[in-house]
Amino acid sequence: MRTPAALVPALALILLVAAPAAAAAGVRSVTLAGPRPFGLFIGDAILLEADIVADPGFRVMTASLPRPGPVTYWLDLRSVAVEDGGVRDGAGHHRVRLEYQTFYAPLEPRALDIPSLTLTLNDGARSAEAVIPAWTFLTSPLRELRSGAGGDGGGPYLRPDVPPRPVDGTVGMLAAAGSGTALPLLLALNAWHRGWWPFRARARRPFMRALRVARLDLQMTGDAGAYRAALLAFHRAFDAAAGRRVLGDDVPVLLDAVPAFRPLRADIERFFEASRLAFFGADTAAAIDRLPPAALLALGRRLTAAEREAG
Amino acid sequence: MRVVPDIDSTLSDWLAGAAAIQREVAAAIVGQERVIRLLTIAVFARGHVLLEGDVGVGKTTLLRALARAIGGAFERIDGTIDLMPADLVYHAHLTEDGRPRVDPGPLLRRGEDLSIFFFNEINRARPQVHSLLLRLMAERSVAAFNREYRFPYLQVFADRNRVEQEETFELPAAARDRFFMEIEVPMPDDEAVRRRLVFDTRFHDSDRLVAMVPDGLLDVAGLPAAAAAIQIGVRASEALETYTTALWGAVREPQRYGIVLDGVDMERLVMGGASPRGVSYLVRAARVRAWLEGRDMVLPEDLRDVFREVMAHRIFLDPVYERRRGPLVHALCRAAFDRVAAP
Repeated sequence: MRTPAALVPALALILLVAAPAAAAAGVRSVTLAGPRPFGLFIGDAILLEADIVADPGFRVMTASLPRPGPVTYWLDLRSVAVEDGGVRDGAGHHRVRLEYQTFYAPLEPRALDIPSLTLTLNDGARSAEAVIPAWTFLTSPLRELRSGAGGDGGGPYLRPDVPPRPVDGTVGMLAAAGSGTALPLLLALNAWHRGWWPFRARARRPFMRALRVARLDLQMTGDAGAYRAALLAFHRAFDAAAGRRVLGDDVPVLLDAVPAFRPLRADIERFFEASRLAFFGADTAAAIDRLPPAALLALGRRLTAAEREAG
Repeated sequence: MRVVPDIDSTLSDWLAGAAAIQREVAAAIVGQERVIRLLTIAVFARGHVLLEGDVGVGKTTLLRALARAIGGAFERIDGTIDLMPADLVYHAHLTEDGRPRVDPGPLLRRGEDLSIFFFNEINRARPQVHSLLLRLMAERSVAAFNREYRFPYLQVFADRNRVEQEETFELPAAARDRFFMEIEVPMPDDEAVRRRLVFDTRFHDSDRLVAMVPDGLLDVAGLPAAAAAIQIGVRASEALETYTTALWGAVREPQRYGIVLDGVDMERLVMGGASPRGVSYLVRAARVRAWLEGRDMVLPEDLRDVFREVMAHRIFLDPVYERRRGPLVHALCRAAFDRVAAP
């Protein structure tokens, strides 16, 4: 920043020569408005607004605007904006907003200058300079510098903390309570569905499900296909009960695995005979003859009862 | 081939014959009921059989008894390392007057009626002999003396010595695939049977034992026609076809059927095998078993009963697992039946 600062006097010299002609050509007036120029403290933001009135067609060249950043060691330029005010009374209006912030820590009230700026305006063929004048303001210390009776930390300057604003927690509490009740409910539902503890027994009751499926199948249509589907459902239940695939010859193995089915031996054998006829003899009619749907459902009910007894 | 007037009544005669064979052979060879049953299935399926078992469990006696009961001619040969294909076909010797002479060898000696040819210790013979045997098994014919000999009733039984590994030639996969069944002849489990085998003098003289079996319980000439009639007469339903295909898939790609064996990478275990020929043999054997059980439809039980004998030797494992082949293939077959739903 040092180099441009050093250049400013040189530039000003050049401008002094060119300015009357240029001003006459393009820029008609520059007015600067700012806040009150006193009672400013360290850290205050200062918004300066420069209204430039120029010949119609002139526009502020963006490249000539200062870039936000430190200007001097105590002054920052925080933002720069240009507003085009349009053409009024045969003149173009432009407003340049410059937001500065002062970090000067004065020991006593003191006048400071925000340096002047030179902007370039251009209408495509000609260019003109608009000089935003320096702005002087008075800055003061926040308090007297000699410490009072309370020392550095005490005195009337340390204000009490603002008490915290109470936050309304009703909605959150309600939501927590709601999800708290919903979670065990859903867990229980899932456990029931998957047959986890304490619904373990349900998983071990394949015939209950098979009976439900078979009943549905036989009530829906009641044709040969439904009968075979019902047989299949019971086959899968037998597989699940024995823990392996059960074929017709494996009835003794099944009865060893599930002793509760022993009293139903004759009926279970009849089931497998009917299934052989239906699936491997391709004679569903003979199978229905051997084990009518009603008898199949009756067997299913007795198997369900037996498996419930077995636990 | 004779004209079959009524397949049903003729088949029931054959069924009685099959029961008689099993009964009579079992009377002479005790403690091998399952092996006899499987051999009967092989006889009625017209398939060649590879027997495996310890020495001295009675494989030869069993086959001689079976041949006598079936009623055809029986020949046997022992595999040795210097056995050449010509030794099976020709018998070259010097006559009494000192002239060289070539007579028919063991294979041709009994003419075209040969019904059981027993090849003892097949893995001692060279690959050249194996290839002759392959042709004999596949085509039931052999070229000799400038003509072709046909053996329409021939069934080859071979025995593999699995105790010794030296100076043996392992059967190639193609040869093993051509055997219909590979049957394990076990030592009888029952202690009473074992005691009888050792102390009962009846079992000491195998010639007399074989002579006890009635000769010619079956009509060998009619066997091929009967076998064909069984295959036509026993029905395999669509559900069974689905089941068989699923079993086949489970053996070839066990990981897809969720089969897990202890300490085995299922992705690697099965390298190949279980050929379509093997599966068609499986269905053939299942049909015969169903017929022997007096049924006209094949059940999953039939497949399960013959599965290991027909399929196990056709499954080729990754070399890493080949050393544990026996138990692994056994477990794989059992797992396949435990996983695949029937029907």
